[in-house]
Amino acid sequence: MSEMPVYNLYMGCSVPANYPNYEAAMIKVAEAFDIQLEYMEGVGCCGSPNLRSIDYMAWLTVNARTLAIAEKNGHDIVTPCNGCFGSLKDVYHFLKHDANHRKQVNTILKKEGLEFKGTITPRHFVEALYTDIGITEIQKKVTKPLDGVGIAIHYGCHLLRPADVTEFKREYLNELIEATGAKVIEYPIWKQCCGATVLPVDENLGIRLARDKLKSMKENGAEFVTVVCPACGNQLDLQQLGLKESYGEEYNLPVLLYPQILGLAIGMDEEEVGLSMNRVPAAPILDHLSG
Amino acid sequence: MAETKEPAGPPVTLTEPIEMSKLDVKFREEIHSMPNGEELSACFACSTCTAACPIANIWKYKPHQLIRMILLGMRDEVLSSDEIWLCLTCFQCQERCPQKVRVTDIFFDCKNLAAEEGKIPANIIGLAKELLEKGQLYTVTADWEREDMGLEPEVPGLSVDALKNILKETRTNKIVDSGE
Repeated sequence: MSEMPVYNLYMGCSVPANYPNYEAAMIKVAEAFDIQLEYMEGVGCCGSPNLRSIDYMAWLTVNARTLAIAEKNGHDIVTPCNGCFGSLKDVYHFLKHDANHRKQVNTILKKEGLEFKGTITPRHFVEALYTDIGITEIQKKVTKPLDGVGIAIHYGCHLLRPADVTEFKREYLNELIEATGAKVIEYPIWKQCCGATVLPVDENLGIRLARDKLKSMKENGAEFVTVVCPACGNQLDLQQLGLKESYGEEYNLPVLLYPQILGLAIGMDEEEVGLSMNRVPAAPILDHLSG
Repeated sequence: MAETKEPAGPPVTLTEPIEMSKLDVKFREEIHSMPNGEELSACFACSTCTAACPIANIWKYKPHQLIRMILLGMRDEVLSSDEIWLCLTCFQCQERCPQKVRVTDIFFDCKNLAAEEGKIPANIIGLAKELLEKGQLYTVTADWEREDMGLEPEVPGLSVDALKNILKETRTNKIVDSGE
């Protein structure tokens, strides 16, 4: 690689508060691949789909503001959260095509000396890894490949859809998992939502959706699960602990954030990727590392 | 010739007749002019959106019916429905629509109109209050966990004021005010 890629790192609110292991593993993986991540200054929560539901203008404005701040230094944004990615990418896409709303938003941003122009792209961390580093370079660094153990991927709705907005293909994540030596487990409801977004309105429904996914993954031979979003992580990992009581079912499916798996495969130890913070004990993954 | 049974009542699919006088003919234009509402009238009621929805089985009004109700002008029924708030925002309906109707986006538009009229589930008002007062949905409490991972205890560069200041001037402020 000729030049070290630099990105604006947009953390959002959930990863820093709930998943410091994800944040740290991502940063360490980035360092290993000579990717420079610079925490963005003066930004915070994206508002989530909840803000989009009740206050479209505010949701447009706050995300356009984040994009406009990144435009000042000219580097793309990367984020580890599907919710933040979905918000930023949707706003980016919408404002690029809608001159009327762009004008309205920029009138508000002008007070801070900011302007959304659409000159940088918001991206998910795993997409940047896939596109800018590439599978070949990633494989070169894998010193402790996984032994072909079956991992089911929950991609997350806002990473995949709307496809014309997110421009993410599920093959990216499949190949990223395969690059670590693991086997991707196909299961019928891979497209289905984890249920996170519906929790405030119907908690039981949200839990049922998470349970359905875990059941489908397990039935199709998954030994581990990977996610790239804190909300999906909460649903599949944390909620899994409650299923014994609500459904009388135990899945014992450890859920890892993708950078944790890649981190281990390139030689990091379990503490570096914060494995002890995962809710369903994830240490069994260590038995599948070879080399 | 086999004898056919007398039907016991109207077929189960038959719903109450729509009252024409209660229809709001401008509703379709209203949605049409909102973000990503342009393709609304392209719907030919194939109900692929409903087939794609993972939770339509528990909905009184299915996604394709909601779209039809918008086109017919059933504004009150749509904006008062639980379904628009139960939407997972998973975009499977929108993704599969052969007519490129942005179904999920249109439900977001409906929620915005419902919110403007104060028709919002209590827990969503709670989240609006959280965003307005704290400027984020999740706040770092276990900063020792961050330090254990070698991260700064406070998120570098974080500003909660940015969102708070925006929300003070917009609908969220009104929603939280009237919810109290």
